[in-house]
Amino acid sequence: MRVMIAEDSVLLREGLSRLLVENGIEVAAICIDAEDLLRRVRGFLPDVAIVDIRLPPTYNDEGLQAALEIRANHPSVGVLVLSQYVEVGLAMKLLADSAEGAGYLLKDRISDVKEFISAVQRVAEGGSAIDPIIVSTLLSKRRSSDPMAPLTPREREVLELMAEGQSNQGIANKLVISLRAVEKYVSSIFSKLDLPSGTTESRRVLAVLLYLHV
Amino acid sequence: MATKAADAMGTETLIRDPPGAATLLLIAIAGAGAAGVLVLLAFDSDHLEDPAVRAILGIWITIPYIGAGLLAWWRRPDSRFGLLMIFAGFGIFLSVFSWANSNALYTVGQAFDFLPAALLIHLTLAFPSGRLERPPEQLVVVAAYIVGGGFVIARMMLGGVDPPTMLQVLSSPDAALIVERVILLGLSLISLAGIVVLAVRRRERGRPLRRWVALLIDSFALVLLMIALLFLAGTFGWPAFEAIRRMTFLIIGAAPIAFLIGLLQARLARSAVGDLVVELQQDPTPDHVGSALARALRDPSLTLAFWLPEFGRYVDLDGNAVETSDGDGRASTPIDRDGAHVAVLLHDADLHDEPELLAAVTAAAGMALDNARLQAELRARVDELRGSRARILEAGQQERQRLERNLHDGAQQRLIALSLDLGLLEEGSDFDSEARARLGRARGEIAASLAELRDVSRGLHPAVVSGHGLAVALESLAARAPVPVHLVVTVDGRMPEAIEIAAYYVVAESLANVAKHANASSATVEVRRTDGQAMIEVIDDGIGGADTEMGSGLRGLADRVEALDGRLRMWSPLGGGTRLKAEIPCE
Repeated sequence: MRVMIAEDSVLLREGLSRLLVENGIEVAAICIDAEDLLRRVRGFLPDVAIVDIRLPPTYNDEGLQAALEIRANHPSVGVLVLSQYVEVGLAMKLLADSAEGAGYLLKDRISDVKEFISAVQRVAEGGSAIDPIIVSTLLSKRRSSDPMAPLTPREREVLELMAEGQSNQGIANKLVISLRAVEKYVSSIFSKLDLPSGTTESRRVLAVLLYLHV
Repeated sequence: MATKAADAMGTETLIRDPPGAATLLLIAIAGAGAAGVLVLLAFDSDHLEDPAVRAILGIWITIPYIGAGLLAWWRRPDSRFGLLMIFAGFGIFLSVFSWANSNALYTVGQAFDFLPAALLIHLTLAFPSGRLERPPEQLVVVAAYIVGGGFVIARMMLGGVDPPTMLQVLSSPDAALIVERVILLGLSLISLAGIVVLAVRRRERGRPLRRWVALLIDSFALVLLMIALLFLAGTFGWPAFEAIRRMTFLIIGAAPIAFLIGLLQARLARSAVGDLVVELQQDPTPDHVGSALARALRDPSLTLAFWLPEFGRYVDLDGNAVETSDGDGRASTPIDRDGAHVAVLLHDADLHDEPELLAAVTAAAGMALDNARLQAELRARVDELRGSRARILEAGQQERQRLERNLHDGAQQRLIALSLDLGLLEEGSDFDSEARARLGRARGEIAASLAELRDVSRGLHPAVVSGHGLAVALESLAARAPVPVHLVVTVDGRMPEAIEIAAYYVVAESLANVAKHANASSATVEVRRTDGQAMIEVIDDGIGGADTEMGSGLRGLADRVEALDGRLRMWSPLGGGTRLKAEIPCE
């Protein structure tokens, strides 16, 4: 797997690349700004581009714009956006019409090495990695009627992990239950929430997020 | 005229005190006595035809002068004209002694027979100051007194009057007749010369701009003309002599009435000062002050010039330097406030005949201009304060932004890197489970610190607003709000950052209040940009009754909004929810 990094902080640039290399991931390029990243991505398509959302020169939305551009022009390249704060609005912007090969994580998450590497792998394989804060914010959002009401606590846990982009296997590992049990919960959730069943793992991320976002 | 104006008017402290009431009363009684004596003389006379008509005419040409003179002396003590009129009135009265049967009185009357003509010429040329200022005027008047006084005595001595007076020393009718002709012709010519003097004066100064002054001068000129006509008729024995005489008397008596009308108008004008004050208060802009003053003073030629202390000169409304030299019928009256020049009125010199009016109007104008200046100063100060408030807020905002960036690029990055190091260590196999657990706890502590730092950063500056715009930032606010929030943002593109940040704080603070106080079940946040204005409105359906006096949080918001020239309003009726609305100009 080959990865490109765009990060302006030396400390994190080096930490990230060490982290990836130590876990057998090839770092094809380390860029210090969005323009550099876009040029390199055009030259050589990596499996994943890890992008700091706040990049020079203005430190406003250069990172996000680069991520959106890569997603639009190079659908085969997974994009993992890292940020020191996560915003529901930005998540929805990034995922606009697909959660395929897209990730949006709090920067802090890189210190949980296993989790982070698994997120990078998911994004590389066309899956998703959505920060738990986004999911919990959406879940805690006040509504006139609680859409989660019909779910059991266990189903709720499964839904949260699903929204983060975990695969059924990943959910099974996390909750220490069988894959079949996970599949049962998932189909129960989909029928209770009246969501279209039988979608792929990455499609269901967006479906759940949109369901929660309303 | 200018010199006279300065003498007569000068500064207000030089205005003479009006005569005492006792003096005026005494003169009035003397006037009434004179009228009585005049009637008695007329009806008692053994040589007067039509005594009733002559008595009425006699009163008609004396009493108005005494009355108008009294009034003028009282109202314009600084002008001699009033005294001169009183003097003329009594002088004319003396001439009626020629009606007396007593030889002594008759002689006195005859001696003063032509004096009224000289007095009227004097009066005419001495208007309005009561002084004869120029040699031609003085010459005419001296000539009038010599002819109307001295020559008359000579004629009496030559026995030119019938019946003879006590002054007769010889009887030389031919010589007396020549003297009489000289008197009559002389006085007519002197009257005509007086008209010429008046005409020259008018041509030099232009037609008086103020109506009553013109009326008075015209009526005096007419008096002179009638005197000339009367004496010519006398000289050449025109048959219409009697008719001309009555007409002349009518006009002589009417002149003081024109004078009284002028005084009355001046009084009316003074009563208009009240209206002027009200008018100036409503619109104290300098050009309006000028036109209002022109109306109040009935001087369309009046202009206003303003004192520029830094240049030491007067300028008009367009900033052009203005000369304030008096002369040629023009005069200037400074408007001072608290010992400092404010402006100057440039006006017709005749205005100095109404010093009280001028003083009152000048005071009103001074007040209005002072008001305008204070208002301008206040406005400037408010602008200055608004500017400094905006600068303070802006500086604070920049400082917070800088701190947020420092945290983001410094402490937060270091902690993340440190946490990553610990994570990598944890992954290594060199540690036992005990050590691994401790590393995990340390990582947890760092994660908690980072979460706290994130909150601090967010509180310092909503970086997401700068980075990604108001709509995205509000979406997060709405998602975190304690009640369902209906969010409507209809803004195309980005607004200026300062406005977006203010709007963000308005919504954040309002939603925080909804959480704390409103007991609401839902809220609506609407941000609109229309007609060069950004409108931010937060409405909840809570219990209302919020403190609209603006607590410190709201006060801070209001400061933010007002610093951007906007305004913040809040409605919170008990039981009716709370509505907070900010409007900020946004081109």
